[in-house]
Amino acid sequence: MALIEIVNFKKAFGTKIIHENVSFYVKKGECLGLVGGSGAGKSVILRSLIGLEKPDSGQILINGVDIVPLNEQELIPVRKQVAYAFQGGALFDSMTVYENLAYPLRAHTELVETEIAEKIHHQLAEFGLEKSIHLYPGELSGGMQKRIGLARAVIMQPEIILYDEPTAGLDPYNTRKIQELILRLKATGVTAILVTHDIPTAMAVCDKFAFLKDKVIAEQGTIDQLLSRDNSLIQQFIEGNIL
Amino acid sequence: MSAPVDFPAMITEKVKEPLEFLGGVALLTKDTLKELRTRPFYGSLLVDQIYLVGVKSLPLVLITALSTGMVMALQYGLGLEKFGGKPYVPRLVASTILREMGPVFTSLMLAARVGAGMASEIGSMVVTQQIDAIRALGTSPIKKIVIPRVLACLIVLPLLVSIANLVGNFGGLVVGSTELNLDTQFYFRRVLETSNLKDYIAGFGKTFFFALFIALPSCYFGLNVKNGTKEVGIATTKAVVTASLLILVGDFFLAKIFWVIEQWL
Repeated sequence: MALIEIVNFKKAFGTKIIHENVSFYVKKGECLGLVGGSGAGKSVILRSLIGLEKPDSGQILINGVDIVPLNEQELIPVRKQVAYAFQGGALFDSMTVYENLAYPLRAHTELVETEIAEKIHHQLAEFGLEKSIHLYPGELSGGMQKRIGLARAVIMQPEIILYDEPTAGLDPYNTRKIQELILRLKATGVTAILVTHDIPTAMAVCDKFAFLKDKVIAEQGTIDQLLSRDNSLIQQFIEGNIL
Repeated sequence: MSAPVDFPAMITEKVKEPLEFLGGVALLTKDTLKELRTRPFYGSLLVDQIYLVGVKSLPLVLITALSTGMVMALQYGLGLEKFGGKPYVPRLVASTILREMGPVFTSLMLAARVGAGMASEIGSMVVTQQIDAIRALGTSPIKKIVIPRVLACLIVLPLLVSIANLVGNFGGLVVGSTELNLDTQFYFRRVLETSNLKDYIAGFGKTFFFALFIALPSCYFGLNVKNGTKEVGIATTKAVVTASLLILVGDFFLAKIFWVIEQWL
Protein backbone atom coordinates (compact mmCIF):
# COMPACT_ATOMS: atom_id res chain seq x y z
CA MET A 1 0.00 0.00 0.00
CA ALA A 2 1.21 3.49 -0.80
CA LEU A 3 2.20 5.53 2.25
CA ILE A 4 2.34 8.74 0.24
CA GLU A 5 0.11 9.34 -2.76
CA ILE A 6 -0.42 12.46 -4.83
CA VAL A 7 -3.40 12.44 -7.18
CA ASN A 8 -4.04 15.03 -9.91
CA PHE A 9 -2.07 17.71 -8.08
CA LYS A 10 -2.55 21.16 -9.58
CA LYS A 11 -0.87 24.34 -8.39
CA ALA A 12 -0.53 27.85 -9.77
CA PHE A 13 0.92 31.05 -8.32
CA GLY A 14 -1.23 33.84 -9.72
CA THR A 15 -1.38 33.25 -13.46
CA LYS A 16 1.74 31.07 -13.50
CA ILE A 17 0.80 27.39 -13.60
CA ILE A 18 3.40 25.26 -11.83
CA HIS A 19 1.80 21.81 -11.88
CA GLU A 20 -0.95 20.16 -13.88
CA ASN A 21 -2.26 16.73 -12.93
CA VAL A 22 0.83 15.52 -11.12
CA SER A 23 0.32 12.01 -9.73
CA PHE A 24 2.72 9.57 -8.07
CA TYR A 25 2.97 7.35 -5.03
CA VAL A 26 5.63 6.09 -2.63
CA LYS A 27 5.31 2.75 -0.82
CA LYS A 28 6.32 2.21 2.79
CA GLY A 29 10.11 2.01 3.14
CA GLU A 30 10.76 3.36 -0.36
CA CYS A 31 12.78 6.42 -1.26
CA LEU A 32 11.57 8.43 -4.23
CA GLY A 33 13.89 10.83 -6.02
CA LEU A 34 11.92 13.81 -7.29
CA VAL A 35 14.02 15.44 -9.97
CA GLY A 36 13.59 18.14 -12.56
CA GLY A 37 15.07 21.40 -13.74
CA SER A 38 15.33 24.52 -11.57
CA GLY A 39 11.93 26.12 -11.14
CA ALA A 40 10.09 22.89 -12.02
CA GLY A 41 8.25 23.08 -8.70
CA LYS A 42 9.83 20.17 -6.85
CA SER A 43 9.94 22.01 -3.55
CA VAL A 44 6.30 23.11 -4.00
CA ILE A 45 5.27 19.45 -4.05
CA LEU A 46 7.46 18.70 -1.04
CA ARG A 47 6.01 21.65 0.92
CA SER A 48 2.49 20.58 -0.01
CA LEU A 49 3.13 17.12 1.42
CA ILE A 50 3.36 18.65 4.88
CA GLY A 51 0.66 21.28 4.40
CA LEU A 52 2.99 24.28 4.04
CA GLU A 53 1.35 24.90 0.64
CA LYS A 54 -2.15 24.02 -0.49
CA PRO A 55 -2.75 22.68 -4.00
CA ASP A 56 -5.44 24.35 -6.11
CA SER A 57 -6.94 20.93 -6.68
CA GLY A 58 -6.07 17.28 -6.26
CA GLN A 59 -5.44 14.98 -3.34
CA ILE A 60 -2.44 14.38 -1.10
CA LEU A 61 -2.84 11.14 0.78
CA ILE A 62 -0.58 10.38 3.73
CA ASN A 63 -1.32 6.95 5.15
CA GLY A 64 -4.62 7.05 3.26
CA VAL A 65 -5.73 10.39 4.75
CA ASP A 66 -6.23 13.34 2.40
CA ILE A 67 -4.39 16.24 4.06
CA VAL A 68 -5.53 18.94 1.61
CA PRO A 69 -8.71 19.94 3.48
CA LEU A 70 -7.02 19.87 6.91
CA ASN A 71 -6.45 23.12 8.84
CA GLU A 72 -3.27 23.96 10.79
CA GLN A 73 -4.58 22.29 13.95
CA GLU A 74 -5.64 19.14 12.13
CA LEU A 75 -2.26 18.98 10.38
CA ILE A 76 -0.34 18.62 13.66
CA PRO A 77 -0.65 14.78 13.80
CA VAL A 78 0.49 14.63 10.15
CA ARG A 79 3.47 16.86 10.89
CA LYS A 80 4.52 14.60 13.78
CA GLN A 81 4.55 11.72 11.31
CA VAL A 82 6.25 13.54 8.42
CA ALA A 83 9.58 15.28 8.92
CA TYR A 84 10.86 18.01 6.63
CA ALA A 85 14.60 18.56 6.22
CA PHE A 86 14.85 22.13 4.96
CA GLN A 87 17.40 23.14 2.35
CA GLY A 88 19.26 25.54 4.65
CA GLY A 89 18.51 23.68 7.88
CA ALA A 90 16.01 26.36 9.01
CA LEU A 91 17.43 26.27 12.51
CA PHE A 92 16.05 28.79 14.99
CA ASP A 93 18.91 31.25 15.20
CA SER A 94 17.95 32.54 18.65
CA MET A 95 18.38 29.04 20.10
CA THR A 96 21.40 26.79 20.63
CA VAL A 97 21.69 23.43 18.89
CA TYR A 98 20.42 21.79 22.09
CA GLU A 99 17.37 24.07 22.22
CA ASN A 100 16.68 23.47 18.53
CA LEU A 101 16.62 19.72 19.02
CA ALA A 102 14.64 20.00 22.24
CA TYR A 103 11.98 22.10 20.50
CA PRO A 104 9.86 19.29 18.96
CA LEU A 105 10.37 17.04 21.98
CA ARG A 106 9.08 19.71 24.37
CA ALA A 107 6.17 20.48 22.08
CA HIS A 108 4.96 16.95 21.46
CA THR A 109 6.20 14.61 24.17
CA GLU A 110 5.81 14.28 27.91
CA LEU A 111 9.54 13.63 28.38
CA VAL A 112 11.20 15.25 31.38
CA GLU A 113 14.26 17.45 30.80
CA THR A 114 16.79 14.72 31.68
CA GLU A 115 15.21 12.36 29.14
CA ILE A 116 15.19 15.12 26.53
CA ALA A 117 18.88 15.81 27.20
CA GLU A 118 19.69 12.12 26.91
CA LYS A 119 17.83 11.83 23.61
CA ILE A 120 19.56 14.91 22.21
CA HIS A 121 23.04 13.69 23.22
CA HIS A 122 22.30 10.33 21.63
CA GLN A 123 21.00 11.92 18.42
CA LEU A 124 23.95 14.27 18.11
CA ALA A 125 26.41 11.44 18.74
CA GLU A 126 24.76 9.45 15.97
CA PHE A 127 25.15 12.41 13.62
CA GLY A 128 28.72 13.09 14.80
CA LEU A 129 27.84 16.53 16.10
CA GLU A 130 28.23 16.21 19.89
CA LYS A 131 30.70 19.10 20.10
CA SER A 132 28.24 21.60 18.65
CA ILE A 133 25.57 21.08 21.31
CA HIS A 134 25.95 24.51 22.94
CA LEU A 135 26.65 26.48 19.77
CA TYR A 136 24.24 28.81 18.00
CA PRO A 137 23.39 28.21 14.31
CA GLY A 138 25.40 31.30 13.35
CA GLU A 139 28.52 29.61 14.72
CA LEU A 140 28.08 26.51 12.53
CA SER A 141 29.14 25.83 8.95
CA GLY A 142 26.49 25.34 6.25
CA GLY A 143 27.04 21.59 6.24
CA MET A 144 26.72 21.35 10.00
CA GLN A 145 23.54 23.43 9.92
CA LYS A 146 22.04 21.01 7.42
CA ARG A 147 23.02 18.00 9.52
CA ILE A 148 21.60 19.57 12.68
CA GLY A 149 18.44 20.44 10.74
CA LEU A 150 18.22 16.80 9.72
CA ALA A 151 18.86 15.67 13.30
CA ARG A 152 16.04 17.95 14.50
CA ALA A 153 13.71 16.64 11.77
CA VAL A 154 14.23 13.00 12.70
CA ILE A 155 14.41 13.28 16.48
CA MET A 156 10.70 12.50 16.73
CA GLN A 157 11.30 9.27 14.76
CA PRO A 158 8.96 10.10 11.88
CA GLU A 159 7.57 7.57 9.43
CA ILE A 160 8.29 9.82 6.46
CA ILE A 161 11.17 12.21 5.73
CA LEU A 162 11.09 14.86 3.03
CA TYR A 163 14.57 16.01 2.00
CA ASP A 164 14.74 19.36 0.22
CA GLU A 165 18.11 19.60 -1.57
CA PRO A 166 20.03 18.13 1.39
CA THR A 167 23.43 18.30 -0.31
CA ALA A 168 23.05 21.57 -2.24
CA GLY A 169 26.05 23.86 -1.88
CA LEU A 170 28.06 21.44 0.26
CA ASP A 171 31.67 20.34 -0.08
CA PRO A 172 32.37 16.65 -0.88
CA TYR A 173 33.01 15.81 2.80
CA ASN A 174 29.67 17.18 4.00
CA THR A 175 27.88 15.73 0.96
CA ARG A 176 29.20 12.29 1.86
CA LYS A 177 28.20 12.78 5.50
CA ILE A 178 24.64 13.70 4.53
CA GLN A 179 24.47 10.81 2.07
CA GLU A 180 25.55 8.41 4.83
CA LEU A 181 22.92 9.80 7.18
CA ILE A 182 20.17 9.41 4.58
CA LEU A 183 21.26 5.83 3.91
CA ARG A 184 21.36 5.07 7.62
CA LEU A 185 17.85 6.47 8.07
CA LYS A 186 16.68 4.51 5.03
CA ALA A 187 18.00 1.33 6.60
CA THR A 188 15.66 1.87 9.53
CA GLY A 189 12.70 1.57 7.15
CA VAL A 190 11.81 5.24 6.87
CA THR A 191 9.88 6.29 3.76
CA ALA A 192 11.38 9.29 1.99
CA ILE A 193 11.16 11.72 -0.87
CA LEU A 194 14.40 13.33 -1.97
CA VAL A 195 14.44 16.51 -4.02
CA THR A 196 17.92 17.00 -5.39
CA HIS A 197 20.18 17.96 -8.27
CA ASP A 198 22.94 15.78 -6.84
CA ILE A 199 22.87 12.76 -9.16
CA PRO A 200 25.35 10.51 -7.28
CA THR A 201 23.42 10.97 -4.02
CA ALA A 202 20.10 10.38 -5.77
CA MET A 203 21.41 7.22 -7.48
CA ALA A 204 22.86 5.94 -4.20
CA VAL A 205 19.78 6.58 -2.11
CA CYS A 206 16.63 6.40 -4.24
CA ASP A 207 14.69 3.29 -5.17
CA LYS A 208 12.73 5.06 -7.86
CA PHE A 209 12.49 8.41 -9.57
CA ALA A 210 9.85 10.83 -10.78
CA PHE A 211 10.88 13.38 -13.41
CA LEU A 212 9.09 16.71 -13.38
CA LYS A 213 9.01 18.44 -16.74
CA ASP A 214 6.58 20.92 -18.29
CA LYS A 215 4.30 20.93 -15.23
CA VAL A 216 3.75 17.16 -15.22
CA ILE A 217 5.57 13.97 -14.23
CA ALA A 218 7.19 13.12 -17.54
CA GLU A 219 8.63 9.76 -16.45
CA GLN A 220 8.62 7.64 -13.33
CA GLY A 221 9.83 4.22 -12.23
CA THR A 222 12.79 2.34 -10.80
CA ILE A 223 16.20 3.06 -12.25
CA ASP A 224 16.18 -0.27 -14.14
CA GLN A 225 12.76 0.45 -15.61
CA LEU A 226 13.86 3.91 -16.63
CA LEU A 227 17.09 2.72 -18.21
CA SER A 228 15.19 0.14 -20.27
CA ARG A 229 13.17 2.99 -21.80
CA ASP A 230 14.92 4.80 -24.61
CA ASN A 231 14.27 8.27 -23.26
CA SER A 232 16.53 11.25 -23.79
CA LEU A 233 15.28 12.84 -20.56
CA ILE A 234 16.61 9.95 -18.50
CA GLN A 235 19.89 9.98 -20.37
CA GLN A 236 20.22 13.69 -19.62
CA PHE A 237 19.51 13.01 -15.93
CA ILE A 238 22.09 10.25 -15.62
CA GLU A 239 24.65 12.37 -17.43
CA GLY A 240 23.89 15.17 -15.02
CA ASN A 241 22.48 17.54 -17.58
CA ILE A 242 19.21 18.20 -15.76
CA LEU A 243 19.95 21.08 -13.45
CA MET B 1 4.18 57.79 -27.86
CA SER B 2 3.76 56.61 -24.29
CA ALA B 3 1.09 54.02 -23.44
CA PRO B 4 -2.21 55.38 -22.10
CA VAL B 5 -2.54 55.30 -18.33
CA ASP B 6 -4.89 52.57 -17.13
CA PHE B 7 -6.68 54.51 -14.37
CA PRO B 8 -9.08 51.73 -13.27
CA ALA B 9 -6.17 49.31 -12.84
CA MET B 10 -4.19 51.97 -10.99
CA ILE B 11 -7.09 52.70 -8.63
CA THR B 12 -7.68 48.97 -8.06
CA GLU B 13 -4.02 48.52 -7.16
CA LYS B 14 -4.12 51.50 -4.76
CA VAL B 15 -7.27 50.22 -3.05
CA LYS B 16 -6.16 46.58 -2.96
CA GLU B 17 -3.23 47.02 -0.62
CA PRO B 18 -5.07 48.70 2.29
CA LEU B 19 -7.94 46.23 1.92
CA GLU B 20 -5.51 43.32 2.00
CA PHE B 21 -3.90 44.83 5.08
CA LEU B 22 -7.24 45.26 6.87
CA GLY B 23 -8.33 41.74 5.97
CA GLY B 24 -4.96 40.28 6.92
CA VAL B 25 -4.83 42.04 10.29
CA ALA B 26 -8.43 41.02 10.99
CA LEU B 27 -7.57 37.37 10.30
CA LEU B 28 -4.40 37.62 12.38
CA THR B 29 -6.43 39.11 15.27
CA LYS B 30 -8.99 36.31 14.96
CA ASP B 31 -6.28 33.61 14.98
CA THR B 32 -4.52 35.30 17.90
CA LEU B 33 -7.72 35.41 19.97
CA LYS B 34 -8.51 31.80 19.04
CA GLU B 35 -5.06 30.49 19.93
CA LEU B 36 -4.90 32.51 23.16
CA ARG B 37 -7.58 30.20 24.53
CA THR B 38 -5.68 26.97 23.83
CA ARG B 39 -2.64 25.34 25.41
CA PRO B 40 0.34 25.45 25.50
CA PHE B 41 1.15 28.95 26.69
CA TYR B 42 4.77 29.97 26.25
CA GLY B 43 5.38 32.04 29.39
CA SER B 44 9.14 32.24 28.93
CA LEU B 45 8.72 33.77 25.47
CA LEU B 46 6.39 36.39 26.96
CA VAL B 47 8.98 37.26 29.61
CA ASP B 48 11.65 37.59 26.89
CA GLN B 49 9.42 39.94 24.92
CA ILE B 50 8.54 42.01 27.98
CA TYR B 51 12.26 42.50 28.51
CA LEU B 52 12.91 43.36 24.85
CA VAL B 53 9.89 45.63 24.44
CA GLY B 54 9.86 47.19 27.90
CA VAL B 55 13.23 47.26 29.59
CA LYS B 56 15.18 47.88 26.40
CA SER B 57 12.85 50.74 25.38
CA LEU B 58 13.03 52.49 28.73
CA PRO B 59 15.99 54.82 28.01
CA LEU B 60 14.37 56.03 24.79
CA VAL B 61 11.04 56.62 26.52
CA LEU B 62 12.69 58.45 29.43
CA ILE B 63 14.60 60.83 27.15
CA THR B 64 11.52 61.51 25.00
CA ALA B 65 9.28 62.13 28.01
CA LEU B 66 11.77 64.36 29.80
CA SER B 67 12.43 66.56 26.78
CA THR B 68 8.72 66.76 25.93
CA GLY B 69 7.83 67.92 29.43
CA MET B 70 10.66 70.44 29.47
CA VAL B 71 9.82 71.89 26.05
CA MET B 72 6.13 72.14 26.84
CA ALA B 73 6.74 73.92 30.12
CA LEU B 74 9.08 76.35 28.39
CA GLN B 75 6.72 77.07 25.49
CA TYR B 76 3.64 77.42 27.68
CA GLY B 77 5.56 79.57 30.15
CA LEU B 78 6.97 81.94 27.55
CA GLY B 79 3.62 82.16 25.74
CA LEU B 80 1.51 82.77 28.83
CA GLU B 81 3.96 85.13 30.55
CA LYS B 82 2.62 88.11 28.57
CA PHE B 83 -0.87 87.48 29.95
CA GLY B 84 0.25 86.68 33.45
CA GLY B 85 -0.67 83.07 32.92
CA LYS B 86 2.50 81.44 34.20
CA PRO B 87 0.74 79.89 37.24
CA TYR B 88 -1.33 77.83 34.80
CA VAL B 89 1.73 76.14 33.34
CA PRO B 90 1.74 73.15 35.79
CA ARG B 91 -1.90 72.39 35.04
CA LEU B 92 -1.47 72.72 31.27
CA VAL B 93 1.71 70.66 31.14
CA ALA B 94 0.30 67.91 33.36
CA SER B 95 -2.98 67.68 31.50
CA THR B 96 -1.34 67.62 28.07
CA ILE B 97 1.16 64.98 29.13
CA LEU B 98 -1.36 62.74 30.84
CA ARG B 99 -3.96 62.95 28.11
CA GLU B 100 -1.94 63.17 24.92
CA MET B 101 1.80 63.58 24.88
CA GLY B 102 2.65 60.75 27.28
CA PRO B 103 0.66 58.03 25.51
CA VAL B 104 1.19 59.29 21.95
CA PHE B 105 4.92 60.03 22.10
CA THR B 106 5.70 56.85 24.03
CA SER B 107 3.70 54.81 21.54
CA LEU B 108 5.38 56.48 18.58
CA MET B 109 8.79 55.74 20.07
CA LEU B 110 7.77 52.13 20.62
CA ALA B 111 6.36 51.89 17.10
CA ALA B 112 9.70 53.03 15.73
CA ARG B 113 11.89 50.84 17.92
CA VAL B 114 9.80 47.78 18.64
CA GLY B 115 7.62 47.75 15.52
CA ALA B 116 10.66 47.87 13.27
CA GLY B 117 12.38 45.19 15.33
CA MET B 118 9.39 42.88 15.24
CA ALA B 119 8.75 43.22 11.51
CA SER B 120 12.40 42.73 10.55
CA GLU B 121 12.94 39.82 12.94
CA ILE B 122 9.81 37.97 11.82
CA GLY B 123 10.51 38.82 8.17
CA SER B 124 14.03 37.38 8.48
CA MET B 125 12.57 34.25 10.06
CA VAL B 126 10.26 33.89 7.05
CA VAL B 127 13.15 34.29 4.61
CA THR B 128 15.30 31.72 6.41
CA GLN B 129 12.33 29.30 6.58
CA GLN B 130 12.22 29.41 10.38
CA ILE B 131 8.49 30.16 10.32
CA ASP B 132 8.00 27.19 7.98
CA ALA B 133 10.06 25.09 10.40
CA ILE B 134 7.80 26.12 13.30
CA ARG B 135 4.81 24.91 11.28
CA ALA B 136 6.57 21.81 9.95
CA LEU B 137 7.45 20.79 13.50
CA GLY B 138 3.76 20.81 14.36
CA THR B 139 3.73 24.06 16.31
CA SER B 140 2.03 27.38 15.69
CA PRO B 141 3.78 30.61 14.64
CA ILE B 142 0.85 32.51 16.13
CA LYS B 143 1.55 31.00 19.55
CA LYS B 144 5.33 31.21 19.31
CA ILE B 145 5.71 34.53 17.55
CA VAL B 146 2.56 36.67 17.57
CA ILE B 147 0.96 36.07 20.98
CA PRO B 148 4.09 36.81 23.09
CA ARG B 149 4.66 40.05 21.16
CA VAL B 150 1.06 41.25 21.33
CA LEU B 151 0.78 40.45 25.05
CA ALA B 152 4.14 42.04 25.79
CA CYS B 153 3.03 45.29 24.12
CA LEU B 154 -0.30 45.21 25.98
CA ILE B 155 1.48 44.76 29.32
CA VAL B 156 4.46 47.02 28.75
CA LEU B 157 3.02 50.06 26.98
CA PRO B 158 0.71 51.17 29.85
CA LEU B 159 3.63 50.80 32.26
CA LEU B 160 5.97 52.78 30.02
CA VAL B 161 3.33 55.49 29.60
CA SER B 162 2.94 55.71 33.39
CA ILE B 163 6.69 56.20 33.74
CA ALA B 164 6.71 58.69 30.85
CA ASN B 165 3.95 60.71 32.53
CA LEU B 166 5.98 60.97 35.74
CA VAL B 167 9.20 61.85 33.95
CA GLY B 168 7.47 64.34 31.64
CA ASN B 169 5.96 66.17 34.59
CA PHE B 170 9.31 66.13 36.32
CA GLY B 171 10.83 67.77 33.21
CA GLY B 172 8.11 70.43 33.37
CA LEU B 173 8.83 71.02 37.04
CA VAL B 174 12.56 71.42 36.39
CA VAL B 175 11.96 74.02 33.66
CA GLY B 176 9.14 75.66 35.67
CA SER B 177 11.41 76.24 38.65
CA THR B 178 14.64 77.09 36.81
CA GLU B 179 13.51 78.96 33.70
CA LEU B 180 10.08 80.30 34.67
CA ASN B 181 10.92 81.04 38.31
CA LEU B 182 7.92 79.13 39.60
CA ASP B 183 8.20 77.79 43.13
CA THR B 184 8.92 74.04 43.10
CA GLN B 185 6.44 73.37 45.91
CA PHE B 186 3.80 75.43 44.12
CA TYR B 187 4.39 73.63 40.82
CA PHE B 188 4.22 70.21 42.45
CA ARG B 189 1.06 71.07 44.40
CA ARG B 190 -0.65 72.50 41.34
CA VAL B 191 0.03 69.33 39.33
CA LEU B 192 -1.47 67.16 42.09
CA GLU B 193 -4.45 69.46 42.68
CA THR B 194 -5.43 69.97 39.07
CA SER B 195 -4.80 66.52 37.61
CA ASN B 196 -7.69 64.18 38.09
CA LEU B 197 -8.76 60.62 37.39
CA LYS B 198 -10.36 61.61 34.10
CA ASP B 199 -6.99 62.78 32.78
CA TYR B 200 -5.48 59.41 33.69
CA ILE B 201 -8.32 57.40 32.16
CA ALA B 202 -8.27 59.42 28.92
CA GLY B 203 -4.55 58.83 28.47
CA PHE B 204 -4.13 55.40 29.98
CA GLY B 205 -7.10 53.87 28.17
CA LYS B 206 -5.62 54.68 24.79
CA THR B 207 -2.43 52.75 25.49
CA PHE B 208 -4.14 49.36 25.10
CA PHE B 209 -5.31 50.33 21.62
CA PHE B 210 -1.92 51.78 20.74
CA ALA B 211 -0.27 48.52 21.86
CA LEU B 212 -2.41 46.62 19.37
CA PHE B 213 -1.72 49.26 16.69
CA ILE B 214 2.01 48.54 17.12
CA ALA B 215 2.12 44.77 17.59
CA LEU B 216 -0.47 43.50 15.11
CA PRO B 217 0.66 45.40 11.96
CA SER B 218 4.31 44.67 12.78
CA CYS B 219 3.63 40.93 13.06
CA TYR B 220 1.41 41.04 9.98
CA PHE B 221 4.00 42.73 7.76
CA GLY B 222 6.76 40.48 9.08
CA LEU B 223 4.80 37.29 8.45
CA ASN B 224 3.88 38.43 4.94
CA VAL B 225 7.43 38.84 3.68
CA LYS B 226 7.69 36.70 0.56
CA ASN B 227 10.51 37.46 -1.81
CA GLY B 228 13.77 37.53 0.07
CA THR B 229 15.69 40.00 2.16
CA LYS B 230 14.73 43.08 0.13
CA GLU B 231 11.15 42.67 1.31
CA VAL B 232 12.29 42.58 4.94
CA GLY B 233 13.31 46.24 4.65
CA ILE B 234 10.03 47.13 2.94
CA ALA B 235 8.03 45.25 5.60
CA THR B 236 9.93 47.10 8.34
CA THR B 237 9.18 50.49 6.80
CA LYS B 238 5.53 49.59 6.29
CA ALA B 239 5.21 48.37 9.88
CA VAL B 240 6.60 51.60 11.34
CA VAL B 241 4.63 53.89 9.02
CA THR B 242 1.37 51.98 9.52
CA ALA B 243 1.73 51.77 13.30
CA SER B 244 2.59 55.49 13.52
CA LEU B 245 -0.36 56.48 11.33
CA LEU B 246 -2.73 54.27 13.29
CA ILE B 247 -1.54 55.85 16.53
CA LEU B 248 -1.86 59.42 15.26
CA VAL B 249 -5.18 59.00 13.44
CA GLY B 250 -6.56 56.62 16.04
CA ASP B 251 -5.69 59.13 18.77
CA PHE B 252 -8.29 61.57 17.47
CA PHE B 253 -11.10 59.02 17.49
CA LEU B 254 -10.02 57.57 20.82
CA ALA B 255 -9.90 61.08 22.31
CA LYS B 256 -13.50 61.54 21.18
CA ILE B 257 -14.56 58.18 22.61
CA PHE B 258 -12.87 58.84 25.95
CA TRP B 259 -14.39 62.32 26.03
CA VAL B 260 -17.85 60.71 25.79
CA ILE B 261 -16.90 58.20 28.49
CA GLU B 262 -15.73 61.05 30.71
CA GLN B 263 -19.19 62.63 30.50
CA TRP B 264 -20.63 59.49 32.07
CA LEU B 265 -18.12 59.41 34.92
